[in-house]
Amino acid sequence: MKVILSLGLIRGLLWQLLGTALGIGFFTLVRALLGLPSWEAEPAIVVGALFGALFFLLGVGVLNDWLKWAAGEPTEDHVDDSHLGWRRYFGPSLDHKVIGVQYLVLSLVLMSVGGLFALLFRTELAQVQMQFLSLDQYNTLMSLHGMVMIISILMGIAAFMNYLVPLLIGAHDMAFPRLNAFSFWIAVPSAIILLSSLALGGFDTGWTGYPPLSVRAPIGIQMFLLGVSLSGFSSILGGLNIIATIVRMRARSMTPFRMPIFVWSSLATSIISLTATQLIGLSFQMVMLQRLFGMSFFDATKGGNPILFQHLFWFYSHPAVYIFVLPGLGIISELLPVFVRKPLFGYRWIAMSSLGIALVGFLVWGHHMFTSGMAEYLRVPFMYSTLLVAVPTGIKFFSWLATAWQGKISFETPMLFILAGIVVFLLGGLSGPPHAVVSTNLHLHDSYFVVGHFHNAMYGGFVFPFFAAIFYWYPKITGKRLSETLGKIQFWLMAPSFVIMSLLMMRIGLLGMRRRIADYEPAFGFEPYHLIMTIMAFLTALGVVVFFINVIYTQLKGQPVTGNVWNSRSPEWQVPSPMPVHNYERELIVVGEPYDYGSPGSRYVKFVGEA
Amino acid sequence: MRHFIVVALLVIACTFLTHTAITSIDILPRKASAQAIPIDHLFEIQLWLISFLFSLVTVTLAYSLIVFRRRPGDVSEGVHVEGNTRLEILWTVAPLVTVIALAYLGARSLSEVQRADPNALQVEVLGGQWFWSFTYPEYGVTSDELYLPVSKQALLRMTSLDVIHSFWVPEFRVKQDLLPGKITELRVTPTETGEYTLLCAEMCGTSHAYMVAPVKVVSQEEFMAWIEEKISQAKLDPVQRGRKLANQYCTACHSIDGSQKVGPTWKGLFGSLVTLEDGTSVIADEVYLRNAIANPNLQIRKGYPGNVMPNFGNILTESQIEDLVAYIRSIE
Amino acid sequence: MAHTSKSKAFRLGLLVFIALVVLTVVEFFLAVYLNVWLLLVIVALCKAGLVIYYYMHVYRLFQADTTLDRNSYAYKLATNRLGLWLFLVSDSFVFGGLMVARINLLGLTHPHLEQTVGLIVTSVLLVSSFFMNRAETAIAHGKRNQFVASTAITLILGIAFLVGVIGVEWRIAPFGPADGAHGAVFYSMTGFHAFHVFTGIIFLAIVLRNGLRGCYSSERHWGVEACAVYWHFVDVVWIFYYPALYLIGTVIE
Ligand code: HEA
Ligand code: HEA
Ligand code: HEC
Ligand code: CUA
Ligand SMILES: [Cu+2]
Repeated sequence: MKVILSLGLIRGLLWQLLGTALGIGFFTLVRALLGLPSWEAEPAIVVGALFGALFFLLGVGVLNDWLKWAAGEPTEDHVDDSHLGWRRYFGPSLDHKVIGVQYLVLSLVLMSVGGLFALLFRTELAQVQMQFLSLDQYNTLMSLHGMVMIISILMGIAAFMNYLVPLLIGAHDMAFPRLNAFSFWIAVPSAIILLSSLALGGFDTGWTGYPPLSVRAPIGIQMFLLGVSLSGFSSILGGLNIIATIVRMRARSMTPFRMPIFVWSSLATSIISLTATQLIGLSFQMVMLQRLFGMSFFDATKGGNPILFQHLFWFYSHPAVYIFVLPGLGIISELLPVFVRKPLFGYRWIAMSSLGIALVGFLVWGHHMFTSGMAEYLRVPFMYSTLLVAVPTGIKFFSWLATAWQGKISFETPMLFILAGIVVFLLGGLSGPPHAVVSTNLHLHDSYFVVGHFHNAMYGGFVFPFFAAIFYWYPKITGKRLSETLGKIQFWLMAPSFVIMSLLMMRIGLLGMRRRIADYEPAFGFEPYHLIMTIMAFLTALGVVVFFINVIYTQLKGQPVTGNVWNSRSPEWQVPSPMPVHNYERELIVVGEPYDYGSPGSRYVKFVGEA
Repeated sequence: MRHFIVVALLVIACTFLTHTAITSIDILPRKASAQAIPIDHLFEIQLWLISFLFSLVTVTLAYSLIVFRRRPGDVSEGVHVEGNTRLEILWTVAPLVTVIALAYLGARSLSEVQRADPNALQVEVLGGQWFWSFTYPEYGVTSDELYLPVSKQALLRMTSLDVIHSFWVPEFRVKQDLLPGKITELRVTPTETGEYTLLCAEMCGTSHAYMVAPVKVVSQEEFMAWIEEKISQAKLDPVQRGRKLANQYCTACHSIDGSQKVGPTWKGLFGSLVTLEDGTSVIADEVYLRNAIANPNLQIRKGYPGNVMPNFGNILTESQIEDLVAYIRSIE
Repeated sequence: MAHTSKSKAFRLGLLVFIALVVLTVVEFFLAVYLNVWLLLVIVALCKAGLVIYYYMHVYRLFQADTTLDRNSYAYKLATNRLGLWLFLVSDSFVFGGLMVARINLLGLTHPHLEQTVGLIVTSVLLVSSFFMNRAETAIAHGKRNQFVASTAITLILGIAFLVGVIGVEWRIAPFGPADGAHGAVFYSMTGFHAFHVFTGIIFLAIVLRNGLRGCYSSERHWGVEACAVYWHFVDVVWIFYYPALYLIGTVIE
């Protein structure tokens, strides 16, 4: 019991409960003192949730050092909490490797929850008419699925950026370790707030939360808006930290064009999350304000403009899709040379294409609004800018092809996931231009073709590279290697069934299946397709279950491995696994190119004092 | 060099194969409007492009995986090639040219889709949670089905009563959102008679899935006949007219058989004693019903959400509201 | 820090302040007599440029890094500066977003507000920026008493600004947050800005308290510098928000 209460997480959760109750009570009291009718549910719950989040942070203890600074007291700079063992994963550790693992676990938990929601509503879709969900339940699950999965992605990329960036650049930690811990821990209460919308009547707007619908939705939407706004801080501050780390903490001899490619993609991603994320927070807060105080930003009858919301929202949410994929594409570029045993083809071009995608990505948001009734003259310029993104993305693809060409290719589990990632992302990417061209978009918009497009892009650009990365770096993190057999079973369960599902999504979308509908017209003849899609969804999920079994099995039965499992040139593999607490004992010196495979005797890094 | 020739041939073969495979099934629904022609033409071009690029990448990749795979016992490394600037420039410029050409075609086809006919038939489209309503201002006719004469451009002037909805008939290929407080326009020229379904394509709340309406494209004569019939219908008895209106606007939320929906059932409503949100009770007489329809937030029924029922005072005429009251009164 | 000689640094701060005052006066009369929005934007950009360069010392970000020791105070200071500026870049997207909303919804009109209040709170914030700069210059030159006094004045002026906006303007405005787009825009822009002023005041209070206890020296006063940069940032935001809310365009009733 004492051990459990000493865990930061448990403390935080208890405090959050307390804080929520206090917040509601406080608000009600203030109203009563002001002589207003004391109970009004919506603002009370919003205030309660805000208090809850703050109390969570206090309870966990991530604010302690900052409070000390404010009080003018000194704090410890290099905290070593490794004596705590497993318990430090449940508390406010400052070690970027611990925080990386914390993010990873949170990401997997959220992916399971979001996936579970998908399985529920997919089961409902398997047949026409409503079987076991009500219309509102369907809408809530569908909307939450979208947002929970997106936050799961944000956590997943944060996991690998946190774990890897300092290791790859030879730093002992991130530039701002406390801020790093804060970025992670703010995400936990946000996720809880987001999910609590289920208990408050849900909401039926989809993940996009367009007003005026979101202004009329049940109270649950406030938790959605608030949860997303708060978790935005995780992204923003995480991005800030990554940029500062890359700029300031690189080993002295590591010039920008000798950084591992994943560092470039992290930089590009972080630029987007640092800046654009504020806009989703702002647009959601404006909806909250409209609901709470009647501020008519988006109410056309009172001088507002519903389209304004869409501009603000997509100004974040389009660049956000590149936040989702850039790290994944970075992982592909990082691992491909290892399994092909050849240098990464066109390193500089790939590095620059990440920045190119990120920057052009800021100019294309209007392609989500071709049918929205926005200013007519904007449609064609947005079409041009959107199609332009295909160019830097193409550079990546062609460079990967050239990397694989004449390599010595082997097929360990990470490589399989990488290959699936490439092919699936290609499907997602190639279904982009038909959306981007205005006149074909008029048919495709808000159909299942869009749903197919983005599941492909997200699976190819994130989910598969994410699993590749887990399999690849698992020995580095834990000192044990995941089972190849189970890994391959997982792969063959997930990849083909996912591809079938997504292709069917595109097929019925073209034929006229709308998205976000709980039930569909039998006359269109979609039922068999939906049934197959549901079965495929379950197979995909089974693959994820096999993954969890693999983790448990490896932790219980796996043999320790400490060496350079993949025969990689990357610095983190030049020291024994698992990674020592303060990373590299001796400073790292860059002596060659990062990916010079196939050039015997050459090395990328050595350590001070090493021959 | 041999490798390159083999791959090139395979890519070409695979492109044709993919294209044939995809076009062997009908990937798009029937084409039934003049606007669909340039759009489908563009789909066709994009299909070729996608088939080619997909084949290019997957065939090259698959070839590498098979031909250059590591044989058992081989521990050597791959060849040491770091890059090739000329190739990189090639695969930057070629896609650039392609996408610019594609965007140009897209802009041209868009202007064709938007081409306006000054003699277009005007239809006012109103969307609301969760119904469609169509008014033909030239004839003073309102309907819950969309009738369109074939081969004549229709100018749909659309607006929404509450949240954003979207007008989509897959066979027409075009789509346009309906915004509250604003009018958006869409032009369609049906080219084939027949029956279609109008789908609401923008998430609009609980019953979004069921926000559909029949679309009938008929010959000019049939269209005029239908208009005549509509005009004469207006002379039917009020309960009949009320039922029609109710089916169009109300039955998404109100039942007449006592079952629960978003709003209270109408079964036995007239003359009953209803309790309001503020605790008082009133008799549901004609005045109460009229207020409930034309100004629903005035008196909110206990146990039901306020602000949900749209204010129909702005949409329905006084006589239409009277018809509705007569109809509700007739439900035992 | 102490590159410039003592009196020179103070004189520069004063000169910049005078320039800002002149520009503000010019801005006001431009708005009254010749309401051309472009001119107002140009004046605002000039003011912002002055503050960002001379008060926020943006050039420090680009100064060559001569320190080699990664664990030295100087190296960490430079890292901290970068972090703070990145945060401000991020934050300015919030304010930018609100500005976009204002332009979209109100265009060339502005809400009906009391001009004298606007001018007074703007001046108060401007003067507070001057004292903030004085405080930072003072601590950099080891003048602790002057530093404490200037920080305290900044703090008081900050509170006065909040009282002016929330206590006075919000009360006397002839519309509420629920009254049309101008209400929504006005209360959200001033509200978000006031929230930042409020956090800045807390920051100032912390700096003042720690300053009184002697936590800062002429070599080590990152806390003061961060507070100053943040405070000037809030001022820069107001440099744009003031014309956007009070001056540009015609009044809507
Ligand atoms: C991981 C996320 C991700 C990624 C990477 C992308 C990538 C792209 N997306 Fe996608 N998109 C989404 C996630 C993503 N998208 C989501 C979530 C939505 C729906 C949001 C919602 O409404 O809920 C969406 C919706 C969406 C729309 C709006 C559809 C609608 O609702 O009407 C459009 C329109 O233009 C679009 C376009 C594109 C384009 C052009 C790319 C490009 O970046 C793709 C570039 C890649 C390639 C083109 C392939 C490789 C390139 C070559 C092989 C080179 C040669 C190519 C050519 C010459 C063409 N996307
Ligand atoms: C990363 C993002 C991501 C991912 C991975 C997925 C994964 C899946 N998605 Fe989702 N989806 C979105 C992002 C994502 N989705 C978004 C953004 C939307 C738009 C929402 C909107 O319109 O607003 C959407 C919408 C969407 C729709 C359209 C709904 C509609 O328009 O009505 C559908 C329909 O089939 C669907 C299906 C699925 C399925 C079957 C999976 C499957 O791949 C899921 C597989 C299952 C798992 C990954 C979970 C496995 C775990 C377990 C079974 C539990 C085990 C637990 C323990 C051991 C603890 N998704
Ligand atoms: C979006 C859903 C919705 C639609 C569409 C709708 N209503 Fe309602 N209606 C409600 C709700 C919810 C209530 C209860 C709250 C209230 O009294 O305002 C209600 C209440 C009523 C009442 C009062 C009933 C009572 O028991 O007190 C009447 C009468 C009524 N509606 C008539 C109509 C008519 C006529 C139409 C169509 C022209 C219509 N409604 C369309 C949701 C709807
Ligand atoms: Cu109306 Cu969906
Ligand atoms: Cu997009």
